[in-house]
Amino acid sequence: MGLSRREFLKRTAALTAASYVGINLPFKNENTSQASDADSWHKGTCRLCGAGCRLELGVKNGKAVALRGISDSRTNYGYLCMKGMLFYKLMGYNNPDRLKKPLYRKSKKEPFKEISWDEALNIAAKEFAKAVKNHGNNSVAYYGSGQALTEETYLFQKIFRGGLRTNNVEGNPRLCMASAVGGYLTSFGADEPIGSYTNFERASCFFIIGSNMAEAHPVLFRRVMRRKLDNRETVKVINADPRVSPTSRIADLHLQFKPGTDLALLNAMAHVIVKEKLYDETFLKNYATFRMGKKKEVSFEKYKEFLKDYTPEKAADICGGNITPEKIRTAALWFAKSEGTVSIWTMGINQRKRGVWANNLIHNLHILTGQLCRPGADSFSLTGQPNACGGVREGGGLCHILPGHRLVKKDKLRHQVEKLWGIPQGRIPPKPGYHTIAMFEAVNLGKIKAIWINCTSPAQSLPNCDKYRKGMSREDVFMVVTDIFPTKTTELANLVLPTAFHFEKTGVYGCTERRSQLTVKAVDAPGEAKPDVWIVREWALKLSKELNDPVIKKCVEPFLGKEPDYELPKAIWDEYTQKLTKGRDNDLRGATYEVLKKLPDGVQWPAPTKEWALKGGTDIKFVRGLDPLADKHAKDQKPYQFYGPAHPDKKLWIWLRPQRGPEEMPDSDYPFYLSTGRVIDHWHTSSMTGRIPELMRANPYAYVEINPKDAKKLGIKPGDMVEVASRRGKNILPAKVYVGPCEGMVFVYWHDQKESRMINRVTKDAFDPGSKEPEFKICACKIRKVSGPKPLKPFLVEMKT
Amino acid sequence: MPIGGFIVNVHPDHLENSIRDLKRISGLEVYGSDEKGNVVVVLEADSSKAMEEMVEKIMKMENVLSVGLTYFNVEDEIEIQEEQGKKTIH
Ligand code: SF4
Repeated sequence: MGLSRREFLKRTAALTAASYVGINLPFKNENTSQASDADSWHKGTCRLCGAGCRLELGVKNGKAVALRGISDSRTNYGYLCMKGMLFYKLMGYNNPDRLKKPLYRKSKKEPFKEISWDEALNIAAKEFAKAVKNHGNNSVAYYGSGQALTEETYLFQKIFRGGLRTNNVEGNPRLCMASAVGGYLTSFGADEPIGSYTNFERASCFFIIGSNMAEAHPVLFRRVMRRKLDNRETVKVINADPRVSPTSRIADLHLQFKPGTDLALLNAMAHVIVKEKLYDETFLKNYATFRMGKKKEVSFEKYKEFLKDYTPEKAADICGGNITPEKIRTAALWFAKSEGTVSIWTMGINQRKRGVWANNLIHNLHILTGQLCRPGADSFSLTGQPNACGGVREGGGLCHILPGHRLVKKDKLRHQVEKLWGIPQGRIPPKPGYHTIAMFEAVNLGKIKAIWINCTSPAQSLPNCDKYRKGMSREDVFMVVTDIFPTKTTELANLVLPTAFHFEKTGVYGCTERRSQLTVKAVDAPGEAKPDVWIVREWALKLSKELNDPVIKKCVEPFLGKEPDYELPKAIWDEYTQKLTKGRDNDLRGATYEVLKKLPDGVQWPAPTKEWALKGGTDIKFVRGLDPLADKHAKDQKPYQFYGPAHPDKKLWIWLRPQRGPEEMPDSDYPFYLSTGRVIDHWHTSSMTGRIPELMRANPYAYVEINPKDAKKLGIKPGDMVEVASRRGKNILPAKVYVGPCEGMVFVYWHDQKESRMINRVTKDAFDPGSKEPEFKICACKIRKVSGPKPLKPFLVEMKT
Repeated sequence: MPIGGFIVNVHPDHLENSIRDLKRISGLEVYGSDEKGNVVVVLEADSSKAMEEMVEKIMKMENVLSVGLTYFNVEDEIEIQEEQGKKTIH
């Protein structure tokens, strides 16, 4: 061992501190994990955010003992954050809390009993069949995850759509990137970013809005930080956020606007760009049109007219905070004039009542200035989960989309899928299913009788979650949960099925930059935990018998008899890529398991051939010579070809979208804005990070961050216990008095599983009418001091049998 | 024995002197700094209380603008317990 435990902790402390201010220390985390010796190292992808960092798992005597970064991977160049370095502690028998046996209870009031897999799958098949027979096909639903492997999401949705004849297929990406999907489709005509992380090393201006990437995507932030620090004078960083976060520390300009005024700010930047003639006339002429509606094209003059309401002066008034007309002008100037500008955003933009519009307005700035398709220029939405893009966006994991970026409601595309699956035409219903909030609303109303929740914990992660926990607790709603640990959601289940974890099974994750990466099984799952694809296949066979419906069996026929650790996921991946992505914009035919295994990282689609895939695939979409599909679909000699399926005119669309505030504004009863987010050590509902002692100890519970001025007015001191209450629910949390949130706003971390600190009991379930993504980021609340500091204990759900 | 990672902000014009003064405090190690006056500091103390006292002391030093905790490890002091309390994670 190279390092003592204390030295390790001290280094961790130093690295964490240094990462906050962008200081590079002469050592890195990977060295510390290399200190553990291992028998063998196995390539895979980190599971704990959407960055897609590549790493190697160290295995000794069949046990996972360490992780280290892969230095020739284009996602992370060997760097990992603390989460990435430590998650091997959840694998195999490393963690005592892992679920190891199927558990069942008839009534949700009873304790769970251990049962066999055969019994468990029989029960699941009978209950889903019963629901279908008695209440129709739309009384069953699947709710999945951006953390499930692509093979898993693909197979689940195939069984539900083709087998059970329902489009009630959803997943937690609805809660995090649905607005980004809506934005890309309506602005560029095609989902997912045009460029790649490689732009970070080529950009001269970063516009980071609504993203605390320093904590949520630390390794990508490191790339941005390096670029800035190595080019202090020439590279500008603009951070726009109502909260000063660790990300703001590297910013040259921090635009602190009042929550919900982002649309005005973005329109005002466009105003400056247009007024000062900073737009790229040729780019606009060649590639853009202006829109008020899908079918309503308008002129540039009309857009200019529209922008008159957004002079920097007017916008500064709307935005409040520290925003001045001068700051808006500076931001617009830097943005437009830089040799390459990359915009980066996450939930601050997506989790808004008008999240799609906010996405559109960022894209507008890029289209206006031609800051697209060239090195260092991109409009780049970061994804929170490792496989929200690959599995759910591309694999058909939402109620309105089928695999290969196909819309359910398009007859032609639906029939293509039916044909490729070899099932009768008309088998997939033409109407999209319930989106997430509507799905859990339907559970509340008892319209859904059987639901399968895979690899996610909606009982904690849905906004206004108490409302939906009521439905999930109903005795007449049969709930199956597949997961690796007990969660707030397994607490409400009838049947809990233990699954294999990452590196205990094989499959592909597709990260933020259209990159698919393979992780091959390296250690055994504990107890009787099984790969999800095995579970679905076996369940489907039983379901086929229960419903006396051979088409359900037909859906799994190509996969019968395959061993579940490698051959089965490989066969599913082959079907998905070779058949379903053929001819689509996310063509992945070149990215076979064999090809993926050869590469240190993976393949960026479009990758129609193996030759192209072996080069890594497509770095920048839509550029002739760089994107094979741009050449294939070219309709003229222009260098860029925007062939995306959603825009018949094959142009980029600049949208006229007005300022709209949040659904719920502070008032005299609830005078504060409440916003929520992450802290560096924890991820989502902390069911995993909470079980890594190093991470849990660093952040044992959630806090409420309060601006010092507000704290002073209310007599709140650091550590005091503070009640945060909305019209929906309340929390009691220790206060962190800190110049983070702007005055009039509080901020709470959302990972804590303790009911009194579970902030989604307080948040609001309003959602974007287009993307149906909830407005987690803004609601109204009131705060008051309840007591002085109290000793607190961290809390994790335990399974009671 | 708690360990804490801090960013101490000192006045950029007095960076070198401030680092020298900081280094005189026992249990304190300086890991790095930048010209903006950010200093990466790790504190080791016998108890959380002792650490708080060290932080107080640093805050009172001339040219120190702020002390920010970014990482805190008290694994010897904390037990991760379930609500009714029993199980400890090792
Ligand atoms: S940045 Fe994300 S993907 Fe990379 S190591 Fe950290 S958690 Fe894992």
